Amino acid sequence: MSDYAEEVGKMGFEESMQALEDLVRELENGGIGLDRSLEIYERAVVLRNHCKSILDESERRIRTIMESAGAVRTEDFRMD
Amino acid sequence: MSETVTVTQLNTRVREHLNQSPGLRDIWVSGEISNLKRYTSGHYYFTLKDQGSEIRGVMFSGSRSRIDFEPVDNMKILAFGRVDLYVQRGSYQFIVETMRRSGVGDLYMEFERLKARLQAEGLFDPARKRPLPRYPRTIGVVTSPTGAVIHDIITTSASRFPADIVLAPAKVQGEGAAESIVAGIELLNRHGVDVIIVGRGGGSIEDLWAFNEEPVARAIAASRAPVVSAVGHETDFTIADFVADVRAPTPTGAAAVILRDRKEVRGQVDNISLRMNRAVAAAVGEMRARFELADARLSPRRASESLDVLRMRLDDLSARSDRAPWDVLRAMGGRFAVADARLSPEKALSDISGHADDADGALDRIGMMVSHTVDLAVRRMVSVGERPENAVMRTMARSTDSLESLGERLEGLNPVNVLGRGYAMVTSADGTVVSSVGDMDEGDKVTIHLGDGRAVAEIMDKEMRT
Repeated sequence: MSDYAEEVGKMGFEESMQALEDLVRELENGGIGLDRSLEIYERAVVLRNHCKSILDESERRIRTIMESAGAVRTEDFRMD
Repeated sequence: MSETVTVTQLNTRVREHLNQSPGLRDIWVSGEISNLKRYTSGHYYFTLKDQGSEIRGVMFSGSRSRIDFEPVDNMKILAFGRVDLYVQRGSYQFIVETMRRSGVGDLYMEFERLKARLQAEGLFDPARKRPLPRYPRTIGVVTSPTGAVIHDIITTSASRFPADIVLAPAKVQGEGAAESIVAGIELLNRHGVDVIIVGRGGGSIEDLWAFNEEPVARAIAASRAPVVSAVGHETDFTIADFVADVRAPTPTGAAAVILRDRKEVRGQVDNISLRMNRAVAAAVGEMRARFELADARLSPRRASESLDVLRMRLDDLSARSDRAPWDVLRAMGGRFAVADARLSPEKALSDISGHADDADGALDRIGMMVSHTVDLAVRRMVSVGERPENAVMRTMARSTDSLESLGERLEGLNPVNVLGRGYAMVTSADGTVVSSVGDMDEGDKVTIHLGDGRAVAEIMDKEMRT
């Protein structure tokens, strides 16, 4: 499961929400064994927590991009 | 004999002459406005002049609605109207019925020409419009670093889905503006952003002109990231707006169309949480029912009876053979001819409940399961040199225990059980789960869900724990 957490950690919000939606739908459809249900549930919890952490992570970066001597670089943007 | 007329008669006669002269009516006159005065009546009085000459001009309030700009001194215009004489003063003047800003006329023509050409080329085709990413991680903005646009975008995005903002500072009017905007779009594409806003605040058609230039239109069309335009006021349309994937009325509108409201997204995550808890609780409930049904048949007494039978057969076979016990068991396994896939305890359980009224069939299956278990146990026994009976019993006990504990773990996740212990779940008017005091305001109506029902409450006061 830690491998899965690592995999999820690299996923974007949209991808995670999609994966979460797919898993929950599979859970809701039923007809799968208890082992599989639990496995799905555990994965769903990992995805859900990942989505929440993205949402709650209020720190966003505001940068200015520029090109000098053919190289692209960014620096923090300061509002005047 | 010379005719004698009064001054009034003379001026009236000149007036009639001017009015009937075809070259002095329905004509365009180009010149520059000066000495402009607007009277409370709404009439405009001014002087229209060029380098060599001047004429008094007047535009009556009724004509004002025909023009979409405010005339000012030094403005170069094309005035349409007629020459007339003001009899009382004996002065003649140009009565303006409508006017255009000269120079601007050329811009409008240029605009229409480029628009028609790019449209014919299919650049505005709705099929070319790309959907915006639902949850962009990085937004690129091409605009002035000092204008209101970037400020509005940063402010608006604060309460929305968290995304980084990368500003490509650009000159948005005057000489070199188009090149600067094109460079910004290309730079952001090279850097890699999920969506780009191209914007500037309101202004005259000259101010917005860079967004009507072909290189800008081409850069927007070629952009890998979808482009949202936010140029000028809501009523201003530029070529950039037609080519962009989405046109936003304002920079604030652009940020709002790109980034979903954070509270709304949080509500979606909460909803899906609720759904998955419900679904897993249902799966556990179903499995528990099956387990209980099967449990009756799998009671230790029944199992040990089956084991006794097996042991007798084992003894019997052993007695007739010198082969090692596990070989005997292997042979027995072959007689049951059971596919590995069918041997999971869970599958056996479901098969048992599926054939609940076929007791013999069910017992056969228990036998299969037991034989598999025995087989496994014997393999273990061989590896650890243990007595087979102990290993068999332990393995069976472990299977049962793990099913039980699985059920208990999942039952603990069932939100209904949590509510039964005195915890409450609060939902807002739109049905989303409220997980923070910050998500409610005084006076909000909320629904409180307890284990056995729900109640509607109004928020009287709130306090955020720090």
